Amino acid sequence: MTQRFSALWRSRRLPASWSTAALTALALASVAPPHLLAQTKGTWLLQDARIVPVSGPALDHGAVLVRDGLIEAVGANLPGLNIPKDASVIDCKGLTIYPGLVDGLSNWGLTNSPPTSAAPAAGGRGGGRGPAPAPAAPTPTPAPQGQTASRGPEDRPSTTSWIKAADQLYPNDRALETARNGGFTSAVTFPTGNIFSGQGSVINLAGERAGDLVLAEAVGQYLSLRTAGFRSYPGSLMGTIAYIRQIYLDADRYKLAKAIYEKHPQGLQRPAYDRALEGVLASQRILLPATRNVEVERMLAFAQELKINDVKVNAILYGGHEAWRSIDVLKQSGTPVLLSLKYPEKATDADPALDEADRILELRDKAPNTPGALAKAGIKFAFYSDGVATPRELKAAVKKAIDAGLDPAAALRALTLSPAEIFGVSDRIGSIEKGKIANLVVADGDLFATSTKVKYVFIDGARFEPPVEEAAPARPNGGRGAGRGGPAR
Amino acid sequence: MRFKQLVTFIATASAVFAQPAATGISGAPAAGGDSFIIKGATVHPVSGADIQNGSVIVRNGKILGVGKNLAAPKDLKIIDGKGLHVYPGMIDAATEIGLVEISSVRETSDTTELGKFNPHLVALTAVNPESEHIPVTRFNGITSALTMPAGQLISGQVSLIHLDGWTTDEMGIKPRAGLHMRMPAIATPRGNFAFDSGDAPGGGGRNSFTEAKRNFDKEMAELNEFFESARRYMQLKAAQPAGFKPDLKLDAMIPVLEGKEPVLITAVREREIKDALAFADKQKLKIILLDAQEAWKVTKEIKEHNVPVVLGPMLSLPLNEDDPYDRQYTTPADLLKAGILFSIGTLEGNANLASRNLPFQAAQAVAFGLPHDEAIKAVTINAAQIWGVGDQIGTLEEGKWADLILTDGDPLEATTTVKQVFVKGKPSDMGNKQRQLYEKYINRPN
Repeated sequence: MTQRFSALWRSRRLPASWSTAALTALALASVAPPHLLAQTKGTWLLQDARIVPVSGPALDHGAVLVRDGLIEAVGANLPGLNIPKDASVIDCKGLTIYPGLVDGLSNWGLTNSPPTSAAPAAGGRGGGRGPAPAPAAPTPTPAPQGQTASRGPEDRPSTTSWIKAADQLYPNDRALETARNGGFTSAVTFPTGNIFSGQGSVINLAGERAGDLVLAEAVGQYLSLRTAGFRSYPGSLMGTIAYIRQIYLDADRYKLAKAIYEKHPQGLQRPAYDRALEGVLASQRILLPATRNVEVERMLAFAQELKINDVKVNAILYGGHEAWRSIDVLKQSGTPVLLSLKYPEKATDADPALDEADRILELRDKAPNTPGALAKAGIKFAFYSDGVATPRELKAAVKKAIDAGLDPAAALRALTLSPAEIFGVSDRIGSIEKGKIANLVVADGDLFATSTKVKYVFIDGARFEPPVEEAAPARPNGGRGAGRGGPAR
Repeated sequence: MRFKQLVTFIATASAVFAQPAATGISGAPAAGGDSFIIKGATVHPVSGADIQNGSVIVRNGKILGVGKNLAAPKDLKIIDGKGLHVYPGMIDAATEIGLVEISSVRETSDTTELGKFNPHLVALTAVNPESEHIPVTRFNGITSALTMPAGQLISGQVSLIHLDGWTTDEMGIKPRAGLHMRMPAIATPRGNFAFDSGDAPGGGGRNSFTEAKRNFDKEMAELNEFFESARRYMQLKAAQPAGFKPDLKLDAMIPVLEGKEPVLITAVREREIKDALAFADKQKLKIILLDAQEAWKVTKEIKEHNVPVVLGPMLSLPLNEDDPYDRQYTTPADLLKAGILFSIGTLEGNANLASRNLPFQAAQAVAFGLPHDEAIKAVTINAAQIWGVGDQIGTLEEGKWADLILTDGDPLEATTTVKQVFVKGKPSDMGNKQRQLYEKYINRPN
């Protein structure tokens, strides 16, 4: 109620627009989806909370002042008299404020699946080798044209490097809502499913229009090592790797040819425009799949190999379940790793007589050790949800890593500041600092403890209240009430 | 010199080709004669101790006597066996020889009929006596084979044949030696490569256990129903009511239901083997397990049921990723220890598993714990006993078919040359496709 109230209060000070503002507010409340309301960015004062800024030591009895979507101040509790007049005060006694969680590699926002009352969590991401699992709804990534049977690298098979996730967003994607309820406020979301799948974007997980979500529209290129199968190039791992190699050689030459041409176009044949190479040249970073140790070593060597060109190659590995074996090479290379929180598990409908190989059992057993091992070695890493988005599952996955030796503070960092740093947006998100975007999670305890409930989520300074999990009595008032995961009034 | 080197090279390098070496022995009777005496050879009757400087008398295709200093009729052709060895011809206990010429050319593959239940098909019908594989196989000392149809649940009747003859009739030893059945299996993905990058986490899952089990239950129900309907038919046939309609399919099941004819059940893994034993109990069948790669896990049950086993090729990969590398090689020794009657079959007509390599399959087991004489038994008398012809072939004993081989050494050794093969007392043509090619190319000018 405080937000509405303060909006009215502010309006009262501007009598000329009072009636229109009030009418608009009412109209929005009655017909528009609930999240629209959240776009009325207010001023919030979160008082008397324990604050875990991630960038520095925790602060007891602290306050965070949020105005117009940004963190205006963080510090000790403001004395009563200094409370800004326009601020809605939330008493956070007994609550803890964390920076909003960031999914380091995601496909949230890329499926056109509007919120429903019983929205399942988004499926695991595809990519890598083998066909991607079918998404719940059609993904916006257009199928590359004329690639039913490519003959060689000149056909640019399985390449959509020019696509940007930011241009493909569905702000109504129900995955956003599910993730918000789990305490996520941002994600680095990527088009997937191709060898060069396209450019990922850093997004906030709420906004009226697609453009509202975007923080950075192109932060890296998602690569997979998928093969086209029998009849099309590339049909093997070595073919795929040779193709990527060729693309980088081509991109290098393309860049040179373009530079020469731009200086003196007259009398020169123009280099043919190649969107695939444009996409590669525009890539700030490249994400390479590496789940197993052998893949880690292969991809690190491959990234080195690609660097002979004049094309930017900032490699990031994703997957990483077996990276506990790869500590030395990772440490030496300084390559950051995105670690999947979807640990390998026995299929739910597995054959009871299945005699599983030791290496599979070992991977299952040791995958949760990887985060702790990387942290201990000082290797930069971030978590990615990989389809784990419900609060319960997420907590369980993080807790598994903590139980296996990961420092809880490092766990939090791997879901906040580290992904922001890896993708170059740590000046805006990832910690609670003055001037950063007001992406916050307010919980009634340690964020990763099983009993802890997320009370509020702030995205761009707008407040969301996750539905109470189990047995929430249905609210009788229909139209105007906050829907599941909708903003609080 | 060059010739010798090449022989050694081929024999040691691969053992895939039958050894190209000089064949045909002095004094061998012309084709057509099926009576002779081999003198002065080391005789390995398999049924008993080896006989140094022994003789084998053959008359009208049958063995008349085996021993030392045998008195032979004067007019009998004498074959000098000095420095040579006589063994019973080997028996490939399960293969597709004669039914498949080139597996990748469909027109030359006669193993499979459409449909789930084909008990009325008889392999012998389709055996090609002119198959190029037969002389090649024979050259390595294999004189008979059990050839079998393949397919869905019940693929047909397997036939025991001699590997020499102008017609199928001449080749057939036991045209209806058993019924080939495949035990339904709960086939779920093994997921060995499930955790490479980007594969769906948690392994396979496309073919879930529930679904696989449902398919299995369905197949089991069909199988049981088929046996029940055959049983009803049998009773009906015995009663001969007016208007009784004969049915070839069900008719072919009668010897099986009466326990006169065994069912050869392909059952590879532990679960299928146990299912096969349970099925045999339920339907009161006499069974033989085929390609039972996990038989070593179930030796107790197999022994209790007194069921013989025909193993597949030893020279194959272990079934599971974490099995020891020699898992397949040591199974024969395990079965021997458990007192289970077993033999070896080369199974499919695949180039690498062909019948001609049968002795080397047995030899591999010898290198991994199977006593040598037991390996010889496995590919001779054991196969004969399993297929119900222990009184006709498999050893050098009086009254049996004179299926014997004359060698310059141990037939399980790759370097041994089989000098002459006799099938039903007749010397077989030792020429074959591989030998032809060898001679053609050895004479190629440089």
